[in-house]
Amino acid sequence: MITTDELQINIGPQHPSTHGVFRMLITVDGETVVNLEPVFGYLHRNHEQLAEVNTYLQNMPYTDRLDYFNSMANNHAYALAVEKLAGIEVPERAEYIRVLMVELTRILNHAGAVGFMINDMGAWQTPLAFGIREREKILDLFELVSGARMMCNYFRFGGVVRDLPDDFIPRLKKLMVAMPAYIDELERLLRENEILLARSEGIGILPREVAVSYGVTGPVLRGSGIAYDIRKAEPYSIYDRFDFDVPVGSVGDVYDRFLVRIEEMRQSRRILEQIIEQLPDASGGHINPKARQNVRPPVGDAYARIESPKGELGFYLVSDGSTKPYRYKVRAPSFINLTPLGDMCRGYKVADIVVILGSIDIVMGEVDR
Amino acid sequence: MASTSPPLPNARPSPRDLLREQLATVLPHALVTLPDDLPDLIRTADVVVHADALPEVVQFVIDHLGYGLLSDLAAVDYVEHGLFELVYRFYSIGGGGDLVIKVRVPRDQPDVPSLMAILPAAMLHEREAYDLFGIRFIGHPNLRRIYMWDEFEGFPMRKDFPKQGDNYIGEGA
Amino acid sequence: MSNDTLTHSLTFTEAPAALTVVVDPTPQIARGSAVVVERRRPKAAGWSLLQGLGVVVDHWRKSFRKLDDTTQIAGTFTTEYPEERLPLPEAYRNMPILLFDDATGHELCTSCFQCQRICPPQVIHMTQAKDPDTGKPVPAVSEFIIEYDACMSCGFCAEVCPFDAIKMDHNFELSTADHSSLTVHKTDLLRPISYYQSIAPTFWAEAEASAYKKLETNKKRRPATIGIAPQMLAQLKAAHELRDDQQEATMPTTAVASAPAPATSSAAPPARSAALAASASDLPTDKAARLAAIRARNEAKAAVQAAPATASAAPAASDGGDLPTDKAARLAAIRARNEAKKAAEQAAAAEAAPTLATPDMPPTDVQPAASEQAAPPAPTVPDASLDEKAARLAAIRARNEAKKADEQTAAAGAAPTLATPDVPPTDVPPATSEQAAPPAPAVPDAPLDEKAARLAAIRARNAAKKAAQAEGE
Repeated sequence: MITTDELQINIGPQHPSTHGVFRMLITVDGETVVNLEPVFGYLHRNHEQLAEVNTYLQNMPYTDRLDYFNSMANNHAYALAVEKLAGIEVPERAEYIRVLMVELTRILNHAGAVGFMINDMGAWQTPLAFGIREREKILDLFELVSGARMMCNYFRFGGVVRDLPDDFIPRLKKLMVAMPAYIDELERLLRENEILLARSEGIGILPREVAVSYGVTGPVLRGSGIAYDIRKAEPYSIYDRFDFDVPVGSVGDVYDRFLVRIEEMRQSRRILEQIIEQLPDASGGHINPKARQNVRPPVGDAYARIESPKGELGFYLVSDGSTKPYRYKVRAPSFINLTPLGDMCRGYKVADIVVILGSIDIVMGEVDR
Repeated sequence: MASTSPPLPNARPSPRDLLREQLATVLPHALVTLPDDLPDLIRTADVVVHADALPEVVQFVIDHLGYGLLSDLAAVDYVEHGLFELVYRFYSIGGGGDLVIKVRVPRDQPDVPSLMAILPAAMLHEREAYDLFGIRFIGHPNLRRIYMWDEFEGFPMRKDFPKQGDNYIGEGA
Repeated sequence: MSNDTLTHSLTFTEAPAALTVVVDPTPQIARGSAVVVERRRPKAAGWSLLQGLGVVVDHWRKSFRKLDDTTQIAGTFTTEYPEERLPLPEAYRNMPILLFDDATGHELCTSCFQCQRICPPQVIHMTQAKDPDTGKPVPAVSEFIIEYDACMSCGFCAEVCPFDAIKMDHNFELSTADHSSLTVHKTDLLRPISYYQSIAPTFWAEAEASAYKKLETNKKRRPATIGIAPQMLAQLKAAHELRDDQQEATMPTTAVASAPAPATSSAAPPARSAALAASASDLPTDKAARLAAIRARNEAKAAVQAAPATASAAPAASDGGDLPTDKAARLAAIRARNEAKKAAEQAAAAEAAPTLATPDMPPTDVQPAASEQAAPPAPTVPDASLDEKAARLAAIRARNEAKKADEQTAAAGAAPTLATPDVPPTDVPPATSEQAAPPAPAVPDAPLDEKAARLAAIRARNAAKKAAQAEGE
């Protein structure tokens, strides 16, 4: 009779597959994971308290650093929260520019997320390079409008900091031409790949009811088969003007999340096309001229959320009537999506853990805040 | 689970009023009636429930109102008023706006029953609130620090936590 | 995956009482639908690997082609940095820099502390300059430090700056082995406006007018060399010396023409203006700034010439039909007239020169050849295009010059000499104006509106012209 002992090992915090300084304390029985406990906090900088000593506007560039892949989306959520709190109107054109930026962000995030997930499977670099190639072109566009590729700091209360430069739309149109070929190519490269299927099918299954009870959002929730997209469920900004579908998975495994992300890139492209069409007719400028940047919202609280590429990104703000938030809380999608990680990994092999983690798509800047 | 087809929240005028109305009939002991003369900062239009009754209320909200997605749990330290406020934010998978349940506990005894038995989504939210505010969630299976290290003393997001100085590198305030 | 493993994977350590929550099977989706993604299987074993390999090979084949077209997804886009560089967009922001005016060397920063206040990581530190004589704060900055190592490049400082003094640089090659060098002081932060113009032409074009306007106002309140970029001081000094030399060479010429002045050597009058223009264009100036400077100088000179014979001109000017309705304007006009009158009286007393009232001439008719004293040609005096600030400045300078000229006239008992034609107004020592009765120092503080100032300037110029003509006859 052979008996086995359980063994505790650490993956991380310094580990290339943990997407930053994230530690997983795992108990294994042979190769099989018996228990997994995520350990957070290596990148903790008390972002929320920092925000309480800054003015509302000063917090804007700090939101870039939450999920540094999607600074535009973070900006959007924060701007929405402050606008809700202070009652600031946003001109139509500014709304279009905002949505344009956030949808570009979604494409680049998913391109990166897919690439890095494949990287975690052991397909070193090549699929990743395919994934993030178009991301560079999008970053060029961000640089054109905001001056920075990643820490964009582009949104302001009541609009965006500056209007689109003249050569933005032509360049975006060129990118739109390249985009379908790019997504098709990524699919041809990966979608039916037998190695990818072997590594992702039936791995890290998160059934739909469990997904909801764990509060996960974004592609992880949709991969589990629930068509919950905040852009549809509670349309903010001008998302009610666009036609797009919500891709959902059927099984809830890593493969479904991968497919959902690929499909979301297509849907984002659809939205972008509609924006390019409607943008010239949009009224107003890039910013509400009456909006003051050193806001002093009335006493009260506000919560605003967006469908960030990683899930529900929300900002909860409490104002005491001063120029600084009394309380500033970030509802970070990467963080909450890690709640079911232990249960998703239990029963699978050690090598699957990194793939499951990759399929959740986390950014530690947002998890640890 | 009791409900057959949950009501569409966005079809109703206000989920908050609906909740208050229903709680008044089903769980009247849970509702907290706030005095009218509260200072502006802690005045709220949202439903405030007793901490002890929170699990019942949440179960009710999930089962009968269809708000099954615990989106956010924010703790707020109203130091001048001597209380912590916990803002539980629920959404319905069917879409629509949020449903907020607030719990207020005294600062000197911040005990709140954990929601882990009902909604495992509360796991990391509660750990975070414990770590940063020191709110004790009774019944949480793994209520440990999440961002700060285990030996850390104090709760850094409390308003009375010293903003300067560092006890750990010999520069204590 | 078998069902057994599936259930196993869902056994929770702390099994929650209620795992399932109510899930609406069909969430409402408007303008679109929920699409279940298709899980494909490869057609045959190995087929998908070949397909994927095909993509890779295709890219390899196309990689020998250099592509600049972003509609394509294959081809080489590589840029051979650092030999090749992609153009940076104008909006690109790296680290903040301070700007100074190429022509005068004046820094645009007035130490208003806006950037220091907005800076999220609090890395901007500055001290306001003080007048060494009075100890009063001056709209200039004496020290300005930015900690580049902690700067987060958010660009707020450039956004809030009301004087367009702080801008975001495009230089990103900042790596250094010396950490302390990343605490950057004012001298290293300063860049000429022309540099910023070269990296962000349209951004500067938008800001240009208001930036110069504000700079002109602030320059007046900066005594001596305060607010001048340190690296420009030496250059400006050299330029000044050059100009002074030229003045010494030309001044006697003008003195010869005016009746009783001691005549010495003579040089060709046009030489000076040419030299002046040359010295001005030595500096990499901006056109507007140069124009303003030249105008101011011309005004001053005209006023000096006006000194002896404005008695008749001044009333003519004030009686000129269109009395300014604005109070400030009227005040300015009266002051100018008083000054002119006084100067004329003094001149008359000293040498009893005949003053002839000549008809008003439009200012643009000023001919350097006609009035032998007006050495520099004044082709750039179109009053219509005068910007308000420059005009006001010119008026004040003109008056100061007039005063000075009076004193000299009185003291020498001779016709005015162009002793100090180029002295900036701030250099005028208040003590020398004991003969100038009107309260000149009060003028800059008076709420002069632009129109009134322009009017006053024009009148002063007219008076000067008349005087010059009278003198000539």
